[in-house]
Amino acid sequence: MYSKKVFEHFRNPHNFGSMDNPTVVGQVGNLACGDVMKLYLKIAKNKQGQDFIKDIKFETLGCAAAIATSSVVTDLTKGKTLTEALKITNKDVVKALDDLPTIKIHCSLLAIDALTEAIYSFYKKTNQPISADFEQKHNRIINCQTRLKH
Amino acid sequence: MNLSTKSRYGLMALANLLNQDCCCSVKKISEAEHISSDYLEKIFSKLKKAGILKVERGACGGYSINGDPKKITLSKVVNALEKAEFTCPDFCTCQSKSVWQKIQSGFGYVLSSITLDQLSNFKNKSIYLDYAASTPVDSEVLATMLPYFSQNYSGNTMSLHKYGNSASQIVESCRQTFADILKVKSSEIIFTSSATESNNTVLKGVAFANKSKGKHIIISSIEHDCVLNSAKWLETQGFEISQISVDKFGLLNLDELKKTIRPDTILVSIIHGNNEIGTIQDLASIGQICHDRGVYFHTDASQSFTKTPINLSKLNIDLLTASSHKIYGPKGSALLYIKTGTKITPLLHGGGHEFGFRSSTVNLPAIVGFTKAAEIAIKNFDQEKEKLTKIRDYLINNILKTIPDSHLNGHPTKRLFNNINISFDRVEGESLLLELDFFGIAASTGSACSSMSLEPSHVLLATGLKSEQAHGSLRFSLGRFSTKAEADYLLEVLPQVINKFRALSPFKG
Ligand code: FES
Repeated sequence: MYSKKVFEHFRNPHNFGSMDNPTVVGQVGNLACGDVMKLYLKIAKNKQGQDFIKDIKFETLGCAAAIATSSVVTDLTKGKTLTEALKITNKDVVKALDDLPTIKIHCSLLAIDALTEAIYSFYKKTNQPISADFEQKHNRIINCQTRLKH
Repeated sequence: MNLSTKSRYGLMALANLLNQDCCCSVKKISEAEHISSDYLEKIFSKLKKAGILKVERGACGGYSINGDPKKITLSKVVNALEKAEFTCPDFCTCQSKSVWQKIQSGFGYVLSSITLDQLSNFKNKSIYLDYAASTPVDSEVLATMLPYFSQNYSGNTMSLHKYGNSASQIVESCRQTFADILKVKSSEIIFTSSATESNNTVLKGVAFANKSKGKHIIISSIEHDCVLNSAKWLETQGFEISQISVDKFGLLNLDELKKTIRPDTILVSIIHGNNEIGTIQDLASIGQICHDRGVYFHTDASQSFTKTPINLSKLNIDLLTASSHKIYGPKGSALLYIKTGTKITPLLHGGGHEFGFRSSTVNLPAIVGFTKAAEIAIKNFDQEKEKLTKIRDYLINNILKTIPDSHLNGHPTKRLFNNINISFDRVEGESLLLELDFFGIAASTGSACSSMSLEPSHVLLATGLKSEQAHGSLRFSLGRFSTKAEADYLLEVLPQVINKFRALSPFKG
């Protein structure tokens, strides 16, 4: 049921494990099944003075799709500026994996949510302006989280 | 200190080479194992120098193993590639010196005790540990079935000519066999197409035939989906369903059952051997409770039939389901025992086959196969029970011992002799299943991620497990063809697999 790409990332995930002294961490749990994903980001300034993802690692408790999407998100974002990284959607993730079964699409959201949360907390930490859109996105994720706890 | 990449890749490539029929080019192996071909070329030339590989010329040019893989030890290979040292320098006299020396000799010992042949055996395995889901058809069963596809038996059992007659005689003798096994009258056995059909017939058939008495039905919280979902459907038809809870081992709460039965209760349906956690219920006590209160008692014995003795002449059971494909018979065949006098409406109306309880032209070869399968299972019962109980307990004990934070689900002793169900903290079942599949091991899980509804197993939750524990559960179910060697292989692979995903998990032990 999974594509070859999913299997590759699942069997040999890229950038997994924890990170010493990450700049920020984004952790989310998934509403549908209680799986958890954690992204560690090391953020630095590039030559143009923009914040970029110098290093990224993940830890995930979940199905093969969750592990594969985590791995692919680290690939898609490593070296990107935060602005670029925020533009990545779960559709990009699904595409990079040569598709996911419909029932597993929510797993790809998990990875995007973790990324969003990590960047959100970096913006907060460094007192950067947060757009209304971004704030809304963050609130939606937080809502899911609290609903999950009940 | 670690084994270097060189040795690791070298061993991987050699195992791959051994699994090929002829000699292989470096390119082919490097592709299969995802190793760069330049790097592999270097490794192979060292192995050639050490006499482990030789070069073949001709059409199928490439490398092949030089000599008998049963005689080449891993230590020979590793020594050819690197000097793996665990000792501190000679001049050193530190206090840990003896520890290092021990490690060094242990390391050498292990490597010299494993041969290349054993290494390659590790791959290409295929081990089926999902017999509770379905079993392969026993070859003896298949052979018994085949003649019944022929013209001699082509008649409808309801037809009066000789073809119908011969078919009908066979079905009746099959019926008698099951009647003898269960110690009931043959007119009390009807053949159906599946356990799901038998269970649907009971729930819906008893409900609709006994409406005038009442509309209350009792099931347990650990029923198979076909009972659970039939009950849920009946709720939409105005029936009331109560679910009796189980304890942490999955045993039915008998006091609760007593209290829940009411004057308008028409049926109690409790699974005998649970399909997920293997817990076996006390049919005698449950039957007595129902009998005393004048309520029909049905049990779904799909998993337990032929795995634990069921003598219906001694039990107060009105209805019982058993299935063919769980006991090495063909799929599409099952039975329902209906005690004489039980009020039940058929699900399928038509020509009045099976004493009017189940119209449909009977599936003769499938019934013959089911019957043969039951005979074989009963004949081998003692032997199979002894063998599989041993393997089951060997696996349970060793898994719990070698893998930290693992917990047995179900009852330690009142359990099907082929069922193992264990939860592992901080991992998820679907990913475990897929990884095990790469090692050729087939199992099953109660994780939400692998179910279509994304809900964790209701059976595991009913025993008091938290969703995350159900999430990390694996069921291994043994069968007639399971061996101790397969169990050992699982014990070798499983800890690695659990470790891999625990390392990936954000939660640490
Ligand atoms: S993580 Fe549960 S379905 Fe993907």
